[in-house]
Amino acid sequence: MPVFRFILQRLFQAVLVTLAVTVFVAFVIRLTGDPAVMMTAESSSVTEEDLAHIREALGLNKPFFVQYLDFLKSLVTFDLGDSFFRGPIDDLISIALPSTIYLAVASLVVSILISIPLGIHSAIHKGGLSDQIIRVLSLVGLSFPNFWLGIMFVLLLSITFPILPASGFDSWSSMVLPAVTIGIILTATNVRLVRTQMLETLSAQYVMVARAKGLSETKVIYKHALRNAAIAIVTFLGLQFGNLVGGLVVIELVFNWPGMGTLSIEAIAQRDYPLLQATVSILAIMIVAVNLAVDLVYGLIDPRIRVA
Amino acid sequence: MSDTFDHTKPLLSVKDLTVEFGSGEFAVRAVDRISYDLHPNKTLAIVGESGSGKSISSLAVLGLLKHLGGRVTSGSLTFQSAVLNQQVDLAQMSETELRKIRGNEIAMIFQEPMTSLNPVFTIGSQMGETLSLHQQLSKRDARAKALEFLDLVRLPNAKRLLDSFPHQLSGGMRQRVMIAMALCCQPKILIADEPTTALDVTIQAQILHIIRDLQAELGTSVIFISHDMGVVSEMADDVLVMKASKFVETGPVTEVLGTPKEPYTRALLAAVPRIGAMTGTDAPKLFDIPGQDTGNTSVEAKPVDHSAPVLEIENLTTRYDIRGGLLNRVTHRVHAAEDISFNIYPGETLALVGESGSGKSTVGKTIQQLVDPVSGKMRHNGRDIFSLPAAERKAFRQQTQYVFQDPFGSLNPRKTVGESLIEPARVHGLVTNEAEARDKVADLLTKVDLPPEHATRYPHQFSGGQRQRLCIARALASDPGLIIADEAVSALDVSVQAQVVNLLMDLQAKQGLSYLFITHDMAVVERISHRVAVMYLGQIVEMGSRRQIFENPQHDYTKRLLSAVPVLNPGQRPTRAPLDGEIPSATRAVGDEPVPVNLRSVADGHFVAT
Repeated sequence: MPVFRFILQRLFQAVLVTLAVTVFVAFVIRLTGDPAVMMTAESSSVTEEDLAHIREALGLNKPFFVQYLDFLKSLVTFDLGDSFFRGPIDDLISIALPSTIYLAVASLVVSILISIPLGIHSAIHKGGLSDQIIRVLSLVGLSFPNFWLGIMFVLLLSITFPILPASGFDSWSSMVLPAVTIGIILTATNVRLVRTQMLETLSAQYVMVARAKGLSETKVIYKHALRNAAIAIVTFLGLQFGNLVGGLVVIELVFNWPGMGTLSIEAIAQRDYPLLQATVSILAIMIVAVNLAVDLVYGLIDPRIRVA
Repeated sequence: MSDTFDHTKPLLSVKDLTVEFGSGEFAVRAVDRISYDLHPNKTLAIVGESGSGKSISSLAVLGLLKHLGGRVTSGSLTFQSAVLNQQVDLAQMSETELRKIRGNEIAMIFQEPMTSLNPVFTIGSQMGETLSLHQQLSKRDARAKALEFLDLVRLPNAKRLLDSFPHQLSGGMRQRVMIAMALCCQPKILIADEPTTALDVTIQAQILHIIRDLQAELGTSVIFISHDMGVVSEMADDVLVMKASKFVETGPVTEVLGTPKEPYTRALLAAVPRIGAMTGTDAPKLFDIPGQDTGNTSVEAKPVDHSAPVLEIENLTTRYDIRGGLLNRVTHRVHAAEDISFNIYPGETLALVGESGSGKSTVGKTIQQLVDPVSGKMRHNGRDIFSLPAAERKAFRQQTQYVFQDPFGSLNPRKTVGESLIEPARVHGLVTNEAEARDKVADLLTKVDLPPEHATRYPHQFSGGQRQRLCIARALASDPGLIIADEAVSALDVSVQAQVVNLLMDLQAKQGLSYLFITHDMAVVERISHRVAVMYLGQIVEMGSRRQIFENPQHDYTKRLLSAVPVLNPGQRPTRAPLDGEIPSATRAVGDEPVPVNLRSVADGHFVAT
């Protein structure tokens, strides 16, 4: 069963990567200082005994690997314990994680909806006026800082013309501005990728064969060429997801979006170690999971991968 | 409905077809006023060398030029269409109308079977697509019909093939699928553009046989595009010769190939190596190129000195590991070269022949130390190379040079040819100053018949044949005793190929060079070699002098290889029975070692596997 083995192999790799990432996160966070000292930094009358009590209560006196294993256990059982200041972490995550996923998916959809038709158009009319315009626009998009674009949208569409909400996540319309902002940033690179991939597949021999069979140009482009170009495009989207999450953190702040990015920034500001460790690990696991999904989808669209 | 047609009329009549690429003053004429008639159930071969416009003229018939940036600027393509029930001009038709004819009445198969099928769709769906488009068949009917045609091209396990993906098939099988796909709507015209050029000779014989059979069975007319005169002679009823976009001559195959009128056709035919042309001679012989005084004599100024071999290979075995599974262990091995032994003497050409996957290139690469052998010995002038320290191995590398197949990929495009040529000499410390280097480059270019002032040019300014000369010049730069030529002339047009082969023989006569000539082309081997070793699945199955191998082949595989070579004998259809099936794979599971063959001597120096 090559297909089964392929999936097993990728799952195995994903688990290994997740373990490595969480060890790293847990280790580095502890390098930045003693959580007990940080936690009590505001109050003046803390004795060494108090600190020891706090450490004991938080489990910080145990060896690193015991703490790490506890953390792993809490991740697996979805029982992440309490944050220092804001109650159960599970409750916080259960609000933040879906918000972030909605936003990520919405921005990817926006980007795909714009970049695939534009990229294909650009490839078919290579060298023409529309191709030039699309390429210039994509270069302009590449050179925008993402937060600046977000702020401009807010100024224009929430303040000058109050059409859309500027911040928060109260209704689905709140999602339009942040999703479009990230979507446009992603589109700038994706358009170029779609264009190059389509140019490559359109010059392949099997495309000429498809034409020689008498297929319509639409079928040749959207069935024969796009399906092959999709192999590279999907891989790239998976790799891009890491960047997307990084971009989300900034955009969530700009739009005051109640997601994982905002949550982790707040955790850093408040030195809320358990919360920070949980949010960063979950974001990392998300990226690993998406890349695993991409690998599996890749196997679905490219039959050559399944046996390899 | 076909009764409305006049059967004396040609099926397709091309008149003054002219194709241009680009526009205005930059327009390039790829086809210049070509005319021909194709009659029902006949095969017309269009022959010419690369760049002659033979493929372009056929793409024009299908109206596919605009996707390559070309267009028909004048002329007509009159086709008797049964689907549209009228006589039409393919050059003037709308795209929508053309689509009814493409793949339905006129189908095409291309040169590269490896890239002609879409890698992400199953064979069944790719064939079904054509059938449902042109014959409005349901999914199930299309599948049944596809199965019928896969059987027709004699593909075993056709049922399973329907659900296979192209990468699971060998090149020969893919080309058969292409033929099945092209014929499944029973077109009146099949355009075959170099359909066997990328295939091994025994597979080529299979494919040609299938095309001929199906043509007789279905009554299809064929436009057969090829550069290979032997193939044309076996396939064609009529021949059209093209040169540099222009018409040269046309006529029945017996006339054009038998008694050519035009000098170009004669030159083209003279350059074709013919198997059997050397029967009765011992030494290699130069090609007779009209207009060039080769003297038509054998070049063996110095007879081969059999006292001490330049290179001795003993029980050389090279395998490639294939890893797999969760732990990435070695699960399979490619037994590329198994227990190979041979000697090469000074001034001798040993040809190593075999089909793709036979391991012939692996042997060359192992000798050049580009891959490491599993076991075996290699002695150069009596010294055991593999046991030498690295520094002395380098000296051996200076003595042995490699010429690759692809003259385009093996020269650095950013260096002038002078820099590229002198590099090996510098690496091996043979030149010390600039003046010496300049003299050396000029000397090397002269040796390969190129003007010395070309040293400052870049590779893209040279043609394919000239580049291969440059590669040979570079190989000569370090004064080697042995040159390994790996398919060095296979990518060249015949006329250029003849010149390069002559150059190699000439250099051998002048400098006493030894060659290990690795190739699949038996006809070239007959010209150039003193001795021949035939490889099959990683092992040498027969070895002997050229005369012994060509005039008295003993091993079945050698016989098959020789009989599969198309013979330039116009008007004669080959009688050979093509072998069915595929060349087996040299990939084996770990522990499943191949059985080593025993070579027994049948005559002086002639060994055959038992």
